[in-house]
Amino acid sequence: MRGNPSDTEVVARVLGGDREAFGLVIRRYETGLLRFATRMLGSRDVAADAVAEGLVRAYRHLASCRDPSRLRTWLYRIVANRCKSYLSRRGVGDVPLEEAPPVADSTDNEASLERAEQLALVAQALARLSPDKREAFVLKHVEGLSYQEMAAVTGERIPTLKMRVHRAREALLQVLEDHA
Amino acid sequence: MNSIDPRIHQALDGEIARESLPPELRRVVDRLESAAALLAAAFPPQGAGLEPRVMAAVRRPAPSGERVRRLLRWFATPQAVTFRIRPAWSLALAAAIVLLTLVPAEERGPALGEHEGIAQFVGRFPDAHSVHVAGSFNDWRTGTIPLEDRDHDGVWRATVVLPTGAYEYMFVVDGERWVPDHWADRLVEDDFGRENSIVIVRATWR
Repeated sequence: MRGNPSDTEVVARVLGGDREAFGLVIRRYETGLLRFATRMLGSRDVAADAVAEGLVRAYRHLASCRDPSRLRTWLYRIVANRCKSYLSRRGVGDVPLEEAPPVADSTDNEASLERAEQLALVAQALARLSPDKREAFVLKHVEGLSYQEMAAVTGERIPTLKMRVHRAREALLQVLEDHA
Repeated sequence: MNSIDPRIHQALDGEIARESLPPELRRVVDRLESAAALLAAAFPPQGAGLEPRVMAAVRRPAPSGERVRRLLRWFATPQAVTFRIRPAWSLALAAAIVLLTLVPAEERGPALGEHEGIAQFVGRFPDAHSVHVAGSFNDWRTGTIPLEDRDHDGVWRATVVLPTGAYEYMFVVDGERWVPDHWADRLVEDDFGRENSIVIVRATWR
């Protein structure tokens, strides 16, 4: 396959029998999907399971991806549903935050330590949000999706998503100001 | 939770230019964006290393689908059956056959295992050239279980022996159009935002 094929070309190759071409889909989207799932579930290991399951499911159902040019949002939708499934199995919407903030190494200076503390603070504030608000905030501000793409991922209406993002921002800002 | 100045949301949503905000509101916008950037930056962009794991699963045939396919293949293939029986038992067998022939029997279906049942799929697609059923019982593979319209009345049918349980499925019309069966036992929304039909296969073993 030539240099940088579009998602539509890759999907056509996979559906045409080139199973190995699915590796390109994985390489293209795994980082974003894992980042999203980790922020949703609070654990990188659990998130890796959710993303891996989601990608296998995506491969098996690739023929039903109606618009391969929107493969990215389709994948986020599958992984978002895997995350919801994990959260509902866990019984509560909050996340355990078992993941420690990045540990400073010997070369770290004061600025990077402060940065690690800030990250821990933001991650904790995010973990306290309801799953719906957490999902909306992460999709919007961490993954950089438009509200239209978010609607395709979540199946929610745009005004509902905007409201969730606004509430999430307010909650995060409150935590940041309390610790300022 | 305190609500914040709506202009902050408007700036973050790209509805107004942040340069139009007074400095104190711009600082709030920067703060929220920095927080989001921290969450994103904690993940290095060089990949999550999931490819070997996912591709291994992709290369492995799905076990449940393979089991169903094997079962379907077995039912579709002629099987040689050999009986070894004692003469005394053969008399008993003959008597049983006579009894069964003389006593009016209720309608009998095919002999199935204790944990097997029959699923019937029926859909009306007058303009279709082909209809298949794909579902969790055949790993959502299209083209493996065709429906037939023998009398060309637009009603397509298939009968499949399946292990008991509940299965999600859809019809695939002309190889590309995915259609739920609105006459199904139940409908359920799937991971892709569409409605899947549910068929519940109960044991018909007697």
